[in-house]
Amino acid sequence: MSTIILILIAGSLLGYSVFKSKEKTKESLKISRHLLANTFVEVIGVLALVGWVLAILPPGLIKQWLGNSNHFLSIILAATVGTITIIPAFIAFPLSKSLLHSGASTAAIAAFITTLTMVGFATMPIEMRFFGKKFTLHRLWISFLAALVIAILMGVILG
Amino acid sequence: MKKLKTLIKDNKLTSLTIVVYTITFFVDPQIFFRGLEMTKVFLIQMIEIIPPIFVISSLITVWVPPEVIAKGFGKNSGFKGKLLSVLIGGFSAGPIYAAFPLAQALFYKGASVANTVIIISSWAVIKVVMFMVESSFLGLTFALTRYALTIPIIITMGYIMGKLVSREDVLRELSNTKITYKSEKDVLKELPNMNCGACGYKSCKDFAVGVMRGEVTIDDCVIRQRAKGRISPLKEAHQEE
Repeated sequence: MSTIILILIAGSLLGYSVFKSKEKTKESLKISRHLLANTFVEVIGVLALVGWVLAILPPGLIKQWLGNSNHFLSIILAATVGTITIIPAFIAFPLSKSLLHSGASTAAIAAFITTLTMVGFATMPIEMRFFGKKFTLHRLWISFLAALVIAILMGVILG
Repeated sequence: MKKLKTLIKDNKLTSLTIVVYTITFFVDPQIFFRGLEMTKVFLIQMIEIIPPIFVISSLITVWVPPEVIAKGFGKNSGFKGKLLSVLIGGFSAGPIYAAFPLAQALFYKGASVANTVIIISSWAVIKVVMFMVESSFLGLTFALTRYALTIPIIITMGYIMGKLVSREDVLRELSNTKITYKSEKDVLKELPNMNCGACGYKSCKDFAVGVMRGEVTIDDCVIRQRAKGRISPLKEAHQEE
């Protein structure tokens, strides 16, 4: 259902853009084609790797780790995984869905998604080049804590 | 052979995946097929979602250039400025590292540390397009709740960062960092390109060549030195043009 809405939004924006300026629409379509070509092979690779990890991990283990009765432990674990890994966000969502089905808790998934996008070990060197060490390190630990807070509140609200 | 090498180098992750699957096929075919089955499910979901997302993202990139966003951003704007910072992030396209150059530009123009942090964080987390994807996979309630919690927390993060890290801390570190450039083109990108000649070279291009040769460092650019102050005269001048 939401997928249909998404396609409709994309379609109507595109239509409006054509109406406003054909040139700019062409330019934007060129960019999307470029994005698609650049990421597609990579995306398939990531998806296949994620599929493999899920296949090799027994579902019980995911439940044990990310759906632990000790909520705090599974939140921290999920947040750490999100910090270390780099997966494009739009792949993280289907992955999170299957993790939820395998028994991960809502709070852990919220922690995973938040750290995945906001805290990145991989982008640290780039950030340091633009803002220096102190800014970067402080931002990372504060963001990590913030992700934990968001996750805990999510767990409280959504159970 | 050489072609194959670059192909592998360009697609490191995919190549790794192929290797992993090949090994798995011989060690445990059952896991191999289960993995493929999982991948197929993911792939079908992805194929529906990726094209509209890329279309929307690139439309945003074309129609809302960063300069426009930067222009509408006031520096002593208090809470309104904070909200505006959230919006800048939310409506932009691209991964978090695409946020750093823009955020740095705003920082040099006098944006506070707090607002800079808010822009970076909301760029990463709050995304109109990603919100749609999130709600289609994890449900509208999940996405709405996460966003409702994240926005105030990001603003709080900005306040805390503003207390912990001062503007001077960042500026001091930035003037000390030695950046290595790949080519003079990279150096030119960071230069004002006003060909003022204050550095002793005839043009910014000659200066860039000098940086590559190691005769000068990029911080010897007079305009850049001034730009590191509170308000960048260079960027101001650019906008008036």
